[in-house]
Amino acid sequence: MKEDRLLFIFFPALIAAFIVTALVIEGGAAFTGFLRLQLQPARLINDFFMTAGIAAALMNSAAVGLVGFIIITATKTRLSGPTFAAIFTMMGFGLFGKTPLNILPIIAGVFLASRYALKTFKEYIIIALFGTALGPLVSAIAFELGLPAVFAIPAGIAGGLVAGFFLPALAVSILNLHQGYNLYNMGMTCGFFSLFAAALIKAGGHQLAADSYWYSEPSSFLPFVIPVISALMIIIGLLSGPGKSLRSFVKIQSKDGRLPSDFIDMTSAAGAFINSGMIGIIGSAYILMIGGDFNGPIIGGLLTIMGFAAFGTHLKNSWPVVAGVITAALIFRMPLTSPGVQLAAIFCTTLSPIAGQFGILPGLIAGFLHMLMVSQTGSWQGAMNLYNNGFSGGLTAAFIVAVVQWYRSNRKDNKFK
Amino acid sequence: MRRKDLISHLINEISNYVLESDPMRMVISLHQEEDGLHLSIMDDAPHSDEEIEQMVKDLNSQKRPELAGYYGSMTGRDLLGASRLNLLGWQVKHTDVNRIDKGIKIDFWLGGDRFDSKQFTIPEKE
Repeated sequence: MKEDRLLFIFFPALIAAFIVTALVIEGGAAFTGFLRLQLQPARLINDFFMTAGIAAALMNSAAVGLVGFIIITATKTRLSGPTFAAIFTMMGFGLFGKTPLNILPIIAGVFLASRYALKTFKEYIIIALFGTALGPLVSAIAFELGLPAVFAIPAGIAGGLVAGFFLPALAVSILNLHQGYNLYNMGMTCGFFSLFAAALIKAGGHQLAADSYWYSEPSSFLPFVIPVISALMIIIGLLSGPGKSLRSFVKIQSKDGRLPSDFIDMTSAAGAFINSGMIGIIGSAYILMIGGDFNGPIIGGLLTIMGFAAFGTHLKNSWPVVAGVITAALIFRMPLTSPGVQLAAIFCTTLSPIAGQFGILPGLIAGFLHMLMVSQTGSWQGAMNLYNNGFSGGLTAAFIVAVVQWYRSNRKDNKFK
Repeated sequence: MRRKDLISHLINEISNYVLESDPMRMVISLHQEEDGLHLSIMDDAPHSDEEIEQMVKDLNSQKRPELAGYYGSMTGRDLLGASRLNLLGWQVKHTDVNRIDKGIKIDFWLGGDRFDSKQFTIPEKE
């Protein structure tokens, strides 16, 4: 199919562009930086731009994206909404937490679970790809607990295998808790798992330091990364047939976005490309407008929401949630440029389906509650789950869904006369 | 998932869809075999041609094991939003939607790898 070919060309090109950019910035040093990066802690917030350098981080992002792309290709899984979102998300978090070394044990753990459950790995591939949010757990066991060098990496790998093995069971249960209204379901799943992992680590007498590395140097290059990718995506979308792609883009805006809303399947890849590009440009414009930082977490966050622009997020269902986050930040006097608020304003779009299904006011409330919750959940889970906003978003979605369900089921018009 | 659970979730999702049209009658019929089953739902509510066309499209969508194995677990459990026929479409072998007297009849065929459609009345592929 033509659309499949477009996606199978686009992702290798994007990955290659990251590698070329890294090599242009630092030459061969980018590769040595990338190798060093594999052996360092990765818990939130660990901006690889700051701890390893921009070139090494870009190289790592490309490598993590390549792992995802190879797995999708090897399992003959269709490149569509969820896999589109997964590769973008993996590349995004390759800038602040995921490394090939810390994600592979988790993927292997999910593979073992699929064997145990007598399923094909393909049936769990989405869980495996997004489950890499627990990469920092592997790095924490290997490099932060002070284990003897000979045991450290095997222990980290074992931890990743165990985590990956339990993810499918948890993911399915948690999906039913919020009923698909939290797009980053694996965020809540991994957060739930991390609660237990963090408790176990603390019970063993280890304290996980709450260090935060946030790159905030001004740059004439970094603010253009996302707008350039976004503009190219819009152009590709338009070139695929202007009339059809624009109609698809408009049609996407009418979808509620609830999981699983595969916009590529529901409309077209071209429409999803335009939606993704628009989300990237507007997200970048917001960060620029508030004077925010273009660093690993922010660029990674923008890549993530661009990915989910093919799998649940669009302009119409995301703005109320973002407005809710900004409102909460202003009311509680949290600076819009603080790392947590910047990230929440981007990742809160995990709750877009609430605005998409129930309307603007519930969307605003969801964003407001999310901002309050997300500032707490990171410490609960030991900062080992990279999708902390997905964890908080899941709790918020479960709360709202329960209230709406209770309200609707007790309306007078539901009763028999 | 046990077969009993799978069947009850499928019935829950499709009956949720049918009940959205507020029918006065709904009939559910199930025929099980070792390696497959035939589920039939009938109602007496009016349905437009466009709706039936969309139903056929959703219920006979391309098989998506990567979605069915994960998001398919929501089938028949989430009753808050609109029912979603694509969740069913990813999991069944074949579906037919036909007009009957006043309403429609929806036929599902499900089965394992050894599924023998001849035991049922699944239409031959043209």
